[in-house]
Amino acid sequence: MSQTITIDPVTRLEGHGKITIQLNDLGEVADAHFHVTQVRGFERFSEGRPFYEMPSLMARICGICPVSHLIASAKACEAIMSVRIPHTAAQLRRMLNLAQMVQSHALSFFYLASPDLLLGMESDPKARNVLGVVAAKPELGRAGVALRRFGQHIIELLGNKRIHPGWVVPGGVTEPLAPAKRDEILAALPEAYANIALALAAYKQIADSFKPEIDVFANFPSNYMSLINEDESIEFTDGALRMIDPQGKILDDGITADKFSESIGEAVENYSYTKFAYYKPLGYPDGSYRVGPLARLNIVKSMGTPLAEKELAEFKQLAKGPVESSFHYHHARLIEILYGIEMIERILTDPLILDKHVRATAGVNRLEGAGQAEAPRGTLMHNYKVDENGLITWANLVIATGQNNNAMNKGVLQAAKAYVKDGKFTEGTLNRIEAVIRTFDPCLSCSTHAMGQMPLAVTLVNADGEVVDRLIR
Amino acid sequence: MTQNTARCLILACGNTLRSDDGVGPWLAEWAEKRFASEADVRVVPRQQWTPELAEEIARAESVLFIDCSVDSAPGSVSLVPVEPAVGTQGLATHHQGAPELLTLARELYNSLPRNAILLTIGAGSTELGELFSDAVSASVPDACRLIEETVLIHFGNNPSFPGV
Repeated sequence: MSQTITIDPVTRLEGHGKITIQLNDLGEVADAHFHVTQVRGFERFSEGRPFYEMPSLMARICGICPVSHLIASAKACEAIMSVRIPHTAAQLRRMLNLAQMVQSHALSFFYLASPDLLLGMESDPKARNVLGVVAAKPELGRAGVALRRFGQHIIELLGNKRIHPGWVVPGGVTEPLAPAKRDEILAALPEAYANIALALAAYKQIADSFKPEIDVFANFPSNYMSLINEDESIEFTDGALRMIDPQGKILDDGITADKFSESIGEAVENYSYTKFAYYKPLGYPDGSYRVGPLARLNIVKSMGTPLAEKELAEFKQLAKGPVESSFHYHHARLIEILYGIEMIERILTDPLILDKHVRATAGVNRLEGAGQAEAPRGTLMHNYKVDENGLITWANLVIATGQNNNAMNKGVLQAAKAYVKDGKFTEGTLNRIEAVIRTFDPCLSCSTHAMGQMPLAVTLVNADGEVVDRLIR
Repeated sequence: MTQNTARCLILACGNTLRSDDGVGPWLAEWAEKRFASEADVRVVPRQQWTPELAEEIARAESVLFIDCSVDSAPGSVSLVPVEPAVGTQGLATHHQGAPELLTLARELYNSLPRNAILLTIGAGSTELGELFSDAVSASVPDACRLIEETVLIHFGNNPSFPGV
């Protein structure tokens, strides 16, 4: 008799999703799916709006990474305007994007993942949360809170709001950086460096103890894609996209936003509202790929900053080619935080950073525009079409979670096969399967409406629809 | 990036696009103007309370939390002391309640404010909208009076608990 295990909702994610695990008559895992159960419809309801409203509208998609949407959207609008933004505006936006990456990665690592990593996958679920981490490792708890606050405070200083700042606009930013704000951020850097050093050291101490998880947490060959600079260093805001194959060989390079849709397609599966992105020349699903911190570090040759450069060299020692296990997303995330802090310091010492010229203006000069950026969890692309009055007639967004969707589903199946035996599962087993998803740090809806800890209910249902086992936490 | 110690920290919570849920930010804006001349009163409105607020709480002498309540009668205003506690579901990442924030302040920074009080206003509606229900609109003057009493009298030299 075949059976289905359902994990609904999956906890410690940005948004709501569920996992189903299908067992065969022998109690072995036959298939597994990660379902995204919300539909948002932003592309549809933006139709008819003036294009210059799009950054503010699109930022509402997400309460964790609104900055990425602001930037990708503003860049798409600037393609419609055919303008190049001033140097200082580009630098300020870059800093904003990095600040968001730091706070989002800090949330992912310290709040969402570290309860598993520091307290153990099998630890008491009632204490497996950020307060449990604080009790067990108070210095790491403080570091995590401080790093998140560091990133958020920079966003608040630059955008005058912590969430959904309206500072990024088509053409640049609305106001220049004040010297006092620059000095305040500079003064916070030493503490940020100390906190990320502490986190990296702590992670390296415990990483080896998770070898069983590393082996089955979405550990398989895949393609990878991310932005990269011409000098092959990491890039979050500008540059162009590169796609590599499972051996690290370049499949495609220099993919600019206007060429994105020529290279990337989106497939639909009937079990999820999130699409499945794929590299068109390889088709679906062979052209599926991973994005985000693991992909970025697999693709780049250099971080471009001294401390992160050393960490990248160590990271690349994990494998001869691309690092395959998604468990290593955690490590990559910490390295990117370090890079972000270093780059923020570098940007603040740019002699033009206080320049007052931070916005270019223009009307509609093209009827279509696209913009891309690296969100914390991977590549983000916005593509708009407008009429001659600048009203949106069509919009398409390709988000990181859709680009990791195939890998997340394969990862859930891989872990389920490893941990569910004879149709039996424990709370720790289910936590590991959820933890596979958490390595990707998916952003399922990302709006800030989650109220409190989401419950987890796991139900084992037989082929007749009868509940034969149930686990709730 | 730490703020100076506040004699009184006012932490308001709510979504201004969700009808009565926006009463917390509205009261925060009122408090910002009312106490503009008081350098040691700090007002922080947030859509949600998150763990990063624990440090500010730990550094404050007194904290007044302001939130709407879906469990109270629409328009009812209440003022209750808050103690550190952890909910039965543990701690969330996107949103903390006042007791959980106090717990984090104590565990992370080994410090608690001398006074911690939660002011709630019963919500009549939290549907999409930018207007308050009649019940909440009618209760706003009472809420403002209580905030004023709490900040100026209870959190000042007179330790008497403010009445509703």
